[in-house]
Amino acid sequence: MTQSLTLSNISAHYGSTQVLEDLSLDIAEGELVSLLGSSGCGKTTTLRLVAGFLEPTAGTIRLGDRDLTRLPAHARDIGLVFQTYALFPHLTVRDNVGFGLKQRGVSSAERTKRVNDMIERVGLGELTDRHPANLSGGQRQRVALARALVIEPPLLMFDEPLSNLDAKLRVEMRVEIRRLQQANGTTALYVTHDQEEAFSISDRVAIMKEGRIMQLDTPEVLYSQPANAFVANFVGFDNMIEMEVVQEAGDAVRVQMAGGHMIDLPKDQFTVPSKKFTLAARPEGLLVASPESKIGIPATLGMRTYLGRAYQYHCETASGTMLANGPLMTPFESGNGALLVPQPEQCCLLPNKA
Amino acid sequence: MSNRLRAWLIATPALLLVFIFLGLPVLSTFVTTFGDPKGPLSTYSAFFNSRFRMTVLWRTMEVALITTIISVAIGFVTAWVVARVPSRLKSLLIIAAVFPLLTGVVVRSFAWLVILGKNGILNNFLLSIGVISEPFSMLYTQGSVIVAMVYLFVPLMILTLVGVLEGIPKDLIDAAASLGATPTAAFRQVVFPMAVPGLIVGAVLVFTGSFTSYATPQLLGGERQMMMGTFLYQRAMVTFDWVGASTIATVMVVVTLATVLVMSKVARKLNPMAG
Amino acid sequence: MKTRIHPVLIFITVVTFLFLLGPLVVIIGASLSDTSYLTFPPQGLTLHWYSNIFEISAFTRTMGTSFMLAIGGTTLSMLIGIPAAYALARYRVELPSFLGNIFVLPILIPEIVLGFSLMKSLASGFGVPIIAALLVGHALIVLPYTVRVVGASLNSFDFSIEEAAVSLGCPRYKAFFTVVLPNIRAGIIAGFILAFITSLNDVSISIFLTGPGVSTLPIQLLAHMEQFFDPTIASVSVLLMGVTVAVMAVVERTLGLTFLTK
Repeated sequence: MTQSLTLSNISAHYGSTQVLEDLSLDIAEGELVSLLGSSGCGKTTTLRLVAGFLEPTAGTIRLGDRDLTRLPAHARDIGLVFQTYALFPHLTVRDNVGFGLKQRGVSSAERTKRVNDMIERVGLGELTDRHPANLSGGQRQRVALARALVIEPPLLMFDEPLSNLDAKLRVEMRVEIRRLQQANGTTALYVTHDQEEAFSISDRVAIMKEGRIMQLDTPEVLYSQPANAFVANFVGFDNMIEMEVVQEAGDAVRVQMAGGHMIDLPKDQFTVPSKKFTLAARPEGLLVASPESKIGIPATLGMRTYLGRAYQYHCETASGTMLANGPLMTPFESGNGALLVPQPEQCCLLPNKA
Repeated sequence: MSNRLRAWLIATPALLLVFIFLGLPVLSTFVTTFGDPKGPLSTYSAFFNSRFRMTVLWRTMEVALITTIISVAIGFVTAWVVARVPSRLKSLLIIAAVFPLLTGVVVRSFAWLVILGKNGILNNFLLSIGVISEPFSMLYTQGSVIVAMVYLFVPLMILTLVGVLEGIPKDLIDAAASLGATPTAAFRQVVFPMAVPGLIVGAVLVFTGSFTSYATPQLLGGERQMMMGTFLYQRAMVTFDWVGASTIATVMVVVTLATVLVMSKVARKLNPMAG
Repeated sequence: MKTRIHPVLIFITVVTFLFLLGPLVVIIGASLSDTSYLTFPPQGLTLHWYSNIFEISAFTRTMGTSFMLAIGGTTLSMLIGIPAAYALARYRVELPSFLGNIFVLPILIPEIVLGFSLMKSLASGFGVPIIAALLVGHALIVLPYTVRVVGASLNSFDFSIEEAAVSLGCPRYKAFFTVVLPNIRAGIIAGFILAFITSLNDVSISIFLTGPGVSTLPIQLLAHMEQFFDPTIASVSVLLMGVTVAVMAVVERTLGLTFLTK
């Protein structure tokens, strides 16, 4: 039943503003891909285009061997879970879940059976005859999920489905969503602004900005090898330090940064991508060390905060303010000088555009 | 001072106004009906056994019912369109509906006097195109009363229903579509059921409003189309039969309250959760 | 995506709005006709019927009464309605929930029944002067509007602002005037103006409470129509429509006319 989704060269406009620009995306059969980005990046627009609530100004949308581009929304056969759940307030749980089957002309007996099975599967057995107003947030979420799943769609889509739940329930529900999606092997498109949610649930994640996909890859690759500064910043590389290669020095590369400071980067730990590049580092990727250490970026320590597993310092360097972590054993006093030592596994080197 | 006491104190003047000047006088009207010298309920048996009075009651119900049905139908279609047009046109249409609503009953009924009268526009128009050869009076018929009443209440219906239709989240209609409902099916299974409570509220307003109206039946119905409102006035101020007038008043209150109660029950039954 | 509307529905809508506005155009036309009877379209144009309004003392007198009554009745209902709306919004927990419904009673009890009852009990029973009974009656029928409209803007008022004022040392009664009232000004103006127009146009209460020397404009119009059928009535109607336009402009500027669809 499951089918692949292909978006080719999609552009979309609201009035005269372009919200999507030449966007292409392939989702394989049974794969769950998330669109991740802040509001206004075009992720919800993409979902609404696939659902048929908006029409693209250019490009095509294909599901399996069907061309959806000009098909009305009700003929697309896609299961959609809304941010607001969009449960019909005048219908019971049973009738909400059965709504899609009714549209498909499924016989009453068959409908009852499939609806009951599905309600059982999402764990709402006793609530069949309730109205949405009498359900908790998590229960509504399950009804919305059941309603989208019961029609056995070749594609499932989720529009920020967990943003109205509290933190604990969010974790519980995303596991549930993943379990049901994998059990059916259904292709899925998942829209969220929550990085942890996207990474935990997805086979691949597309990080979006201003109507374009900045990088599409597995969570592991995105986390450790961002392709550009935007993605790096998005996944927590808070520090960006511009560097320039000065000379090769045996098994190290000597680089220079703002203020004329030079450090040597060992070749076996850092792969320099171009002459000019940016070192992106998470706070834990810049280790605060005493000024006597051999290599590091000179800094003046500012405010210190306690993180539990480490201390974090606001540091002033010639390249700007950096966030760096230091060990719990040896706290440094603010106002002192220190060296920030890049830790290869928490840093990445990004080529600067020419 | 406790909050509860403070709250009651602040609300008291308004409560007293309603109690003293609405509660007591209306209650006194009810009580008057039992003071008939011929026995406590004799005025009611007189009312329900009088052919003339029952004719007036049924006529009023009939006019109110027909007015309600026509107003609901016209109002729903119009509100559906108004809720869907671009916002600038929408504001314009809402202004066009509010204007008659805020114009007085006398002025609005008077307009129909000019249109439907013997020398009215409609007669002149029909004469000029040769459909009729002699002007005839369309006034003082049930039709003329109903037309003017529909005119009175359609704006109210439109405004109520535009509010109701705009209150239905767009997501629900999208959800219906995503589940395979055609636009017609989505209307029948989602939009309409969700609009029903508002529809009933509007219908109750129109029914009770036209059931108890005075100026319109007075101007366009006259003696020939006596309705409960004009009948009450006539009994009270022309024949000074206060027991009779109080009886009519009581019947009007009972019908109004019964309509409100029954219809809100119906609304709750049809749509237990959207209300 | 564009929503398509069936042409039949559009046709019905166009006809409906012609039906709504046409008769008002007819009145305007009729008021300008230089014939001595009401007709449309006007034969020749004249403003005579407008100046004629002021020749008929019954119109000028009742016009004065109507405006004073509308202002007086509305003011009275505001003075007691605003505190009531405040109590209902501010002390939602402390007050029983049926209390709000009490202020809807004047809508539930047919106006004409209220008019009759006021006449019977107050004017006839206790000999209350007619003008006073009229004032009370008008205050009563507009009370639901004042409580509801003011209540609507109080419901969107954040009462922690009032608490902030009190915590800064402002006495409660003073906080009401300096913090609450200015923030619900739009609701008060809109409520006043809607109540005003309702009172100005009222027939059902006033019809019972007019007597020798006291009458309101709508009642005078009704009486005039039964005897004369000249364009003066149309010109008075146009004046009243002018008041409606002014009212709408004020409501639009305060709450916005879409408020009326809620």
